[in-house]
Amino acid sequence: MNAVEVAKINQIYTEYFEIIDSYFGSIKHYLTGSEDSHIDLGSKMARYPLVSDLIIDAIDEIDSTIDNFWQKNTRTIVDFIRSRSSLRCVYSGDITPMILEDFVKKSALYIDSIILPDPVFNLTLFQKQVILDKKYYLQKLIRHVFNIWKLKDLILAKPSEKIIFILPINLHLVNTDDRQKLISTADRKFTEYVSKIFDENFKNGEECLEILGKETTSQSIFEKIKKQDLLPQIFRSQESLHQFLLDFSNTGKFAKFKDNESVGWDFAVYLQSQFIRVQEHRYFCDILKAEPIYDYELPWFFFNYEIGGFDMDAAIANALQKEKFNWINRVPLSAIEVLRSENKLDYMRSVLRHGITDLKAKNDTDLIVVGQQIEKNLQDAFKRQEGEIISLQKQVSVIVKKDIPIVGAGFLAGFIPGISPIISLLFAGRDIKNALEQKNVLNKQIDSKQKDVISLLIKSYEQDD
Amino acid sequence: MNKTIEFDFFGDGMRIFLDYISRQFKKNPDYLPHPLIRAFECAIQAMDKAKPGGRSMGVSQDGTEKNVCNPYIVVLEKKDNGVEVKEVRNIKVDKTVPVDVMLIIFRLQIILDHIEGDTVTPQQMVESLNAVIPGNRFYALGDRWKEARDEFKKQLESGKIHNISNDQELIKGLTSITYDTPWEEYPNNVRALIGSSIAQVGNLPSGTVIITSPKDSKIEKFKVFDSATEFLLGKSSEYLNIRRDKTKEDG
Repeated sequence: MNAVEVAKINQIYTEYFEIIDSYFGSIKHYLTGSEDSHIDLGSKMARYPLVSDLIIDAIDEIDSTIDNFWQKNTRTIVDFIRSRSSLRCVYSGDITPMILEDFVKKSALYIDSIILPDPVFNLTLFQKQVILDKKYYLQKLIRHVFNIWKLKDLILAKPSEKIIFILPINLHLVNTDDRQKLISTADRKFTEYVSKIFDENFKNGEECLEILGKETTSQSIFEKIKKQDLLPQIFRSQESLHQFLLDFSNTGKFAKFKDNESVGWDFAVYLQSQFIRVQEHRYFCDILKAEPIYDYELPWFFFNYEIGGFDMDAAIANALQKEKFNWINRVPLSAIEVLRSENKLDYMRSVLRHGITDLKAKNDTDLIVVGQQIEKNLQDAFKRQEGEIISLQKQVSVIVKKDIPIVGAGFLAGFIPGISPIISLLFAGRDIKNALEQKNVLNKQIDSKQKDVISLLIKSYEQDD
Repeated sequence: MNKTIEFDFFGDGMRIFLDYISRQFKKNPDYLPHPLIRAFECAIQAMDKAKPGGRSMGVSQDGTEKNVCNPYIVVLEKKDNGVEVKEVRNIKVDKTVPVDVMLIIFRLQIILDHIEGDTVTPQQMVESLNAVIPGNRFYALGDRWKEARDEFKKQLESGKIHNISNDQELIKGLTSITYDTPWEEYPNNVRALIGSSIAQVGNLPSGTVIITSPKDSKIEKFKVFDSATEFLLGKSSEYLNIRRDKTKEDG
């Protein structure tokens, strides 16, 4: 990777952080080592209405500042990413993952670069317009600013491939013609999907919204669904569908787009938004020559439904986000930087890929098989690693046991009559030196084995038991 | 081990606001922040020479020689581990400025900064005040002055207007106008008296502050601050009771 180009990209991200600091630097002291210390900071602040109103007003201009910044720099970063022949993924889920740090830990074990939509850009330029409750907006913004801060070292690190890129990714940035195409494709796909699950023949998205908008209870929606096997798992029981729609409706209370109160309308709008998201995400993945990555089930389901299964790389990257791998979150973030600086990513990738093929991944729509294989691969790697450490430790202990006799024998040899004491001493001394050097090398190997990512993974995994 | 976080949200708000001021200075070196901030700055500068336990004072104001607006003093005391604010006082209303009023003034500063120039229209003044002072208490009379005039006339004729006969200035003002006098030519005190009649016909909630300046008039921004302080802390605040609405947490 060209050092000059990397320096240029890092300079851009340094400027990005300077902007964030110029608006929020005064509350950076709340950034602690704890991964979720910032999650409730915004809502705690929101309990002080006059203070939070002042903060909201004082940071109001961040939207135009960040917009200007991206207008100046997006092209440089996009060109740089496209020029790399790396394995990379574009995140699509919520604005950013709830705990961005954990998402990055899991992803960076397998992929070269994670491309994150800039949460500050999306919140300040788009979400702010539709969020009715300013305090809710502030709460979200603060959470995401802290998320980004936590990744600053990784964003500005200089490994062989950059681990994280932040980019302004939003449907509104797509040129009008393409955007229109994306929206109309999404509308067609949404209509087809709703027609299938309800076994009806809806004409278009508008009709879906209108007809489903008449449903006033989750029970009536559930009873009218004819093909439950086409639904994501969470919608396949009436209770979980009901809970989902309740939560969705509560979140919608903060937004201006909610112009119909019915549960059916909420359901249809949610499905429609997912089909738009899929198209948007595909578009940006194509532009950036990247794979899609999700950190939670629902958006992943719709992408999968649309694409018909992932290839091996995307399947592994996405399977790692599953709950069963949450123990990875305990690996320190700095270990990821070490993994890259020591060029161990290829090894890690080969560990994870073992026994997984494109075909296997494509047929595994729920990523169950891929997930199980990854688990097995990691356990095998752990056993190998532990085995290697034990073997190295044994070698050291043998040398340690030999240390004293060698030293003793050496000096004793010096006094054996008939043998030149000088030669004997030199000979014994060389043996001791060799043995000590060998021991040091082995100890270093143990130390490095114990500190490398696999060992850190083992520790995290054991803590989970 | 996670360290326990102590929250100082007022301090955070202040610092974020000061960052805002710094950004404005970067954009425009001639930017003039509110006198309260300037008084703070003066006091902090003077603090450099003080020893622990010593005090410094900063004074700043707006307006003109004849019409002083927003005069503030800030008193600081040097402590071993920093600086303590001993007093923030508006000398015009002669009251200590409480935290909630300070926050409102700072927000007003930001909102007025968004309006270009040194002056605002009555409508902009009302919108700015309503944006920062809870309760939507301010109303710009604008083109409705004729309705107010007619209502005032009706009330006067029906004997519902009392206690003006002792105010010679007001009587003089009232006699100087005719039915056809344009609003711009009404004396200020007469506009204030007649303009308030709109409350009767406009279904405005009681306690609404009516800004009666002609709609095209230009009001200096520092006068908007001065009015806000008057409504929040001055004599009018005793009648308006605006700060009653403030939330307990911020107090």
